[in-house]
This record gives sequence, C-alpha cells and structure tokens, in this order.
Amino acid sequence: MSDPRDNVQQEFLAEAQELVEALSRDLLLLDEAHHRKDRIDPALINEIFRSVHTLKGIAGMFGYKHVGAVAHALEDLLDDLRLGRTSVGSQLLDVLFDSVERFQRLLALEDPESPEEEAGVQAYLAAIRSIGTETSEEEGDPLDKYAIEPAVLSVLTEYEEHRLRACIRGGLRLYRLRAAFDLTAIDDSIETLRDVASNDAEIITYLPSMEGGNDDTIELVVLIASPVPEEQLNAHFEGRYGTIEAIEERTHLPTLPPRLTSIPSAAIRMEPQAEEDPGQASLRSVANSVRVDIRKLDHLMNVVGELALIRSAVNRIVDRFKGESMHRRSLMDLDRIGRGFERQLSELRSGILDVRMVPLGQVFDKLARIVRQAAREHDKQVRLVVTGASTEIDKLIVEELTDPLMHLVRNAIDHGIESAEARTQVAKSSEGTVALNAYQKGSNVVIEVEDDGAGMNAHQLREAAVSRGLLSADVSHELTRQEMLNLVFMPGLSTSSEITGLSGRGVGMDVVKTNILRMGGMISIASEQGTGTKITVTLPITLAIIRALIVTVASRTFALPITAVREAIPYVPEEVRTIQGREVITLRGETLAICDLARLFGFRGSTSKAGRFVVVGSMGNRELGFVVDDLIGQEDVIIKALGKSLASVRGFAGATDLGDQKVALVLDAPTLFTEYFDGPDALRSLETRA
Amino acid sequence: MSPTVQRATLAPHSDSETGAVAVLAVLAGNEAYGFPLSAVREILMPPPLTEVPRAPGHILGVVTVRGQIITLVDLPKLLHLEVEQGDPYGRVLLIDNGEELIGVAVDHVIQVYRMEPNQIEYASAMGAELSAYVVGVGRVPSAESSDGEDMLILIDPVSLLGE
Repeated sequence: MSDPRDNVQQEFLAEAQELVEALSRDLLLLDEAHHRKDRIDPALINEIFRSVHTLKGIAGMFGYKHVGAVAHALEDLLDDLRLGRTSVGSQLLDVLFDSVERFQRLLALEDPESPEEEAGVQAYLAAIRSIGTETSEEEGDPLDKYAIEPAVLSVLTEYEEHRLRACIRGGLRLYRLRAAFDLTAIDDSIETLRDVASNDAEIITYLPSMEGGNDDTIELVVLIASPVPEEQLNAHFEGRYGTIEAIEERTHLPTLPPRLTSIPSAAIRMEPQAEEDPGQASLRSVANSVRVDIRKLDHLMNVVGELALIRSAVNRIVDRFKGESMHRRSLMDLDRIGRGFERQLSELRSGILDVRMVPLGQVFDKLARIVRQAAREHDKQVRLVVTGASTEIDKLIVEELTDPLMHLVRNAIDHGIESAEARTQVAKSSEGTVALNAYQKGSNVVIEVEDDGAGMNAHQLREAAVSRGLLSADVSHELTRQEMLNLVFMPGLSTSSEITGLSGRGVGMDVVKTNILRMGGMISIASEQGTGTKITVTLPITLAIIRALIVTVASRTFALPITAVREAIPYVPEEVRTIQGREVITLRGETLAICDLARLFGFRGSTSKAGRFVVVGSMGNRELGFVVDDLIGQEDVIIKALGKSLASVRGFAGATDLGDQKVALVLDAPTLFTEYFDGPDALRSLETRA
Repeated sequence: MSPTVQRATLAPHSDSETGAVAVLAVLAGNEAYGFPLSAVREILMPPPLTEVPRAPGHILGVVTVRGQIITLVDLPKLLHLEVEQGDPYGRVLLIDNGEELIGVAVDHVIQVYRMEPNQIEYASAMGAELSAYVVGVGRVPSAESSDGEDMLILIDPVSLLGE
C-alpha cells in the first residue's frame, strides 16, 4: 500500500528530527556553560559537531538541499570552534540556536528544494559566515615547551593538536602513560580510562607504542593533560593502568621547530575521529535502539486485546464443563495454564505500553530553547528550573503536548516575569524563575508551569470579559476570585494582550485548554498578584489502555476512566436538593453537584429509582457526581477511537470491546466536566440567574 | 453549463476499458440500493449494536468487527427517505469510504450486477434534488418480470459519512 519511498522519507525525517533535538539539547548545555563562565567541555562541542555532520550527510542522501547547505556551513563554523579558531560568544550562540529553528522549518517543507526558501537560507548562510575566525596572538608555539617525541606529534590530528596547545596554554601539565590493553576490549577500556580521567584530566590522544604488548594485548602511549601534580594524578588513577609520568619541560628551544603543516580540515570531516571521540558510547547506544511507527504499537496493542478476548472465551468453555467430575483433572490443568497465560499476557501488555513511554525531558528541552529565546526578546533575565524531566508519558501525548506547553512557557516570560528593574524595585531577585515540574500522581502525570512574576490581576480579567461582552456586568460581580481567573480560558478573551496581560501569539489560553482536554487532561490556574502564577496540567499517562469503572445507565454499559473517579456512594434520592437549578447532595459536609447520566444522554424509560449509585468524579480541583444505575466493576480496557463519522459527538473518549462483541462507550470525563461547569448551559444559567 | 454541485461518478470503480461497474444491490426499507462492489469490504451478520447517545439520527450506533469500532448507519434515514430501516435488519455491509470503514445496515443482499455505462443515469444529469450521498440511479433487469426494469439508488462510498 504505502510507497517504500515514503517509508524511507519518514525514516529520514525521524532521524533528522532526533539529530536536531540532540543538537538543541547540546546547545542549551553550551549556552549554560557560557552563561556561567564555566570551562567549555570540548566533548560537548564535538557532540554538536557530530550531530550537524551526520545531518549534513543524510540530508545530502535524501535531497534536502537547503538542510544540507545549512548543515555544511554550520559544520565549518563548528570545526573552527573546536579547533579554537573562533570562540563561544553570544553572536555565535544566536546563530547556532537559530539553526535549530531553521532545520525544523526546512524539514517540515513539502518540497525539500523549495526555491522560496532560497533567500532565507542564503541570508542565514551569510550570518554564519559573518562570524569569522580569530587569529590568536601567540608568542611562540606552546608545544615547544615540552619534549614530546616528534613521532607522536606527527600523527596528531589537527583537533588533537589544537587541544594539546589549548591545554598547555591553559597551564595544564602534560603526562605520559604507558599501559597494555586487552585487544578484544580496547574500546571499552579506553572509554573507562576517559571516564576515570573525566574531571581531573583530559586524554589528548593515544598511540600504539613501538615496543611491548603480545598477541592479545597492545601497549598504548596515552598523552594526558591535567592541572594536578603527578602524585595526585597517580593517586586518582590508583595505579590501575601503571605509572603516569610527567613529560619534562624543555629548558632550551628545539633546534628543529616541530611545527606541523596542519592537516586540512576537510580530511578530518571525512572521518570525524571515529576512534578517539568520547561520544562513542552514545553512538553505540543509538545503534541499540530502533525507531518504531506508533501505529505498529497500536496494532500490537489491538492484538493483545484480541488475545484477552480469546482467553475469556476459553474461560467460559471451561466454566461450562465445571462440575462434571470426569473432566476434573483436565479442568484443573486448563485453569493453571489459563492463569499462566494471563500473566504472560499482562507482561506483554505492559511491555508494549512501556515502549510507548518517553521521558517528558524531550518536550522540556524544546521549552528550554523557548525560554532562552523569549528572555532575549524581552531582555529579561530568566532562569529555568526543571524537575522530573525523566517522568514518562505516552509518546502520542508528548507530541500533542509541545504546543500547549510552549504557549504556557511563553506566557510566563512575556507577561509573567517582570523586567529586571521592576523586579529589583519590589525586592525580588533581578533574575526571574520559570519552573517546569513534572511528576507522576497515580495514573496521571502532573506538569506545572510556574513563574515568580507579577501574577494575574483577577479584576482586570473580569473587566476585560465584561467589556468584550462575554459576561454581563451583573453576573461578573458574583464571581469568586478563582472564577475570575478561570475567565482566562474563555475564547475571545486571551487575544487582548495589553489588557489582560496575556500572550497574543496566535494560540490563546482557550486553545491550550481545548488541546489539553482533547488529550483527556485538565488544566487549572492559580495566581497571586505580585507573587507569580502556576498553571497545572494533569494528563493521563497513556491513551492506549486505561483502568476503568464499568457502570450501567438505563441498561447500557459505559466505562468511566478510573483516573477521573474518586469514589462511588449509594444514591439516596431524598438527599438531593436543588441549588440554582443544579442538583446537589451533601457529602461529608461538602456540597457535591450531581449529574444524572440517563438524563444527560436523553435515555427515556425505566431507570430504577432504588439501588442507584453516585460515582464521584474528580478532575483538577473540581468534583462532580455522576448518577448511574449499577456498578459492574473495574477493568483494564483498551480505548479504541470512534470513527471520524462520530467526531462531532461530544462526551465520549472512545469505545472499548468488553468481549462477546459487546462494546461500551468510554466516557470523556474532562469534556463532561467542562460541559457541566463551563459549557454553554452553565453560562446560560449564570445569565438567567442574574 | 450551470454551476451545480460537484457530484461524484462511479468512474473510480469502473473497468478502465469498458466503463462497466460491478454493483452490489441490496434492499433496505423497501428500496433497492447499489454500492460499487470495489468499495464493499465485507458482508456480515449483524453484530450486537451499541447505541451512541447524542449521535445524529441516521447513526444507529457502533459495533465491533475484529477489534475495530465501526459506525453503523441507517441508509434510508441518511438519505432523508420516509421509509424506515427494517428492524431487525438482516445484514451489515462494511463500506470503505477511503477514510474509515462504515457499517451500513440492510435487510438483505440482492445480487451483484455488472452495469454498463448506459445503464447508469448520473444525478448531475438528472437535475433532481437528490441527497449528496447519491451518485445517480441504475437500471437493471427486473427480478420479477422478464421485460421490466428495477431501479437501484447508487451510493457514492466516498461521501458516505466522509467530509
């Protein structure tokens, strides 16, 4: 069915996307190091170089001309950077950060060679070239200081030579280590050596020595640069590799200056130091993973569902034979096998689910870039604090989550965080903080976007809503403070940037809310003027499979996601009161609004008045009781989408197969909550009340 | 030519050389309908139906077929015809509308006809006010009398509950 070319194209795009994401992550680290004036890890620059290099390679293969051109120019720039011909500065960082944006844009093009992009790409290439190189003023070659064998010097790559010079210039001492390495495990051993060295020393290069070694081992000469004295370095390595000796400094100038003709950088680019790069490990880990189309996982999940149905069909047959003594032994065996099968099946199911999970860090990395960009645009000082980046969530949710979260983060900086002067005036630290916190809570994931900025003015929001005719003045005066803040999610309000202090960038908070609801999530807001704003997004961990409470309403079966259920209590008709047109009951001293599902769905006919239940649903900080006829029990259900033909029907998240070809609709709790509390009906009742 | 509504033809389903179309004729609520055979995926005994509250009236509900949730439609109601779908219906056709499989409840299947282009009268040529789901009508030899003709309402599978 699908064109193999398309598949290949998809593969390319997926890989390119990963490379760009990796690039983005590394740039943030670089930016952070630059910002804190830390020493910049050469391995990091190498890593960035490698991403761009690979991207250039695959873009060329797939005819992404523009991507290839940009990657090529960047590669040259990064090559200059790692060879010390240019240094990390804000102009360079800006150009690098722009590249992420640009790559993403170019990768999204229908036509990878689109001539419309030509001008933009050329302008960007010019920006890259404008950075240029610096020629450092050197007084003599620092290499002259040490008595390094010419045999060693002559085989250094340009990069290694640069690092060597940079280390000597930085006042580091040079050491030599001779050690034998097992030939079969040499890659790992060198990796370990690098790890051990890590902070205290930099491995410049290693070369096979001319002597030593036998059939299974090889003796290497390792050139190390380190700021610490010889004894300390030896103590650090604990003599694991033999003795490290200092390379003596020359007291006189060499008769023959060992200045080398530098190897053309192109030669290096051909083979980006395949052996000596510290990034080996990460390359290896990439090779151990596979990219899978999420639809294939959906299919597997369906198969698991079918297996479960077959299993219950077998169970029913077993039940039929129960009580017939002649089959007792076989039945017991069947029962035991059946339980084993169920265990394996649930293993399989959680295995597939696990594959779908990705850490939220993937989104947070993108957000970190937005923070940096927004802060620069507004000339504000913003620190991003991230916790819980390793919290895992369904891949499908992650993809959908990026845009809403981006908007929230932008809002926090555009309108939350004050300028440095304004902050100083109110005795806040001049640097604002935006916090992204993620954590798992039951079968939900909670993500908070919090800023310590100016907070929202609830009264201004109310006035804006009234002036826009979204709310009558009378009604508006009966709103609680929280209700006023919630007005921010109303369509038509959030575009008014100057009045409400909200971002006017295309998507408003109402769109954010709609998107979150569509994923089965909830969003809530808390804000104190002068202190800051916190937006809390609650999402299910996965969309594929949920634990659900199975209920019946007017003889029809429904599934209610357990994430939305707090408890179920008997329904006592006598306790129901009506407040402002809404039915409520009192539960532990609190008023709880209730909603009869039979009435909501327009089911007529006999609903038994006795023995019904109230299922108390909870979403964010709201509670609503759903009145149902009966509780069947809890079950893990696989949610299947309703066809497009039912897209306009609201209130159902999908359907699930309960076995025996019986289908139960899965209630969409967030939508039902919104409909009940904020929907057109809720608003209308506010109006009539006034 | 007057600027009329763009109407589909059965061209995508016809034999590229002769222009003939294989049509599956079914009976639903006393009316005969024809579906291009190439869009019919399966003919099933009716699976248990789950009604969907709030759904439009022409949607009977959803059924599950090998793990897939399928929307089941009432054809006469969809076409705003007065006649009601026979209840209980005898068969379900799975029709591929290009985006999803749609279940169509019918009383029973009549037969497959091979229809030549001259047997099909397209709605665009008739100027009659017909539902957007109807491509036109087809004339087939009568099942009862040897010289009479029966009319089939030809359905466009692509427009069936699609956008």
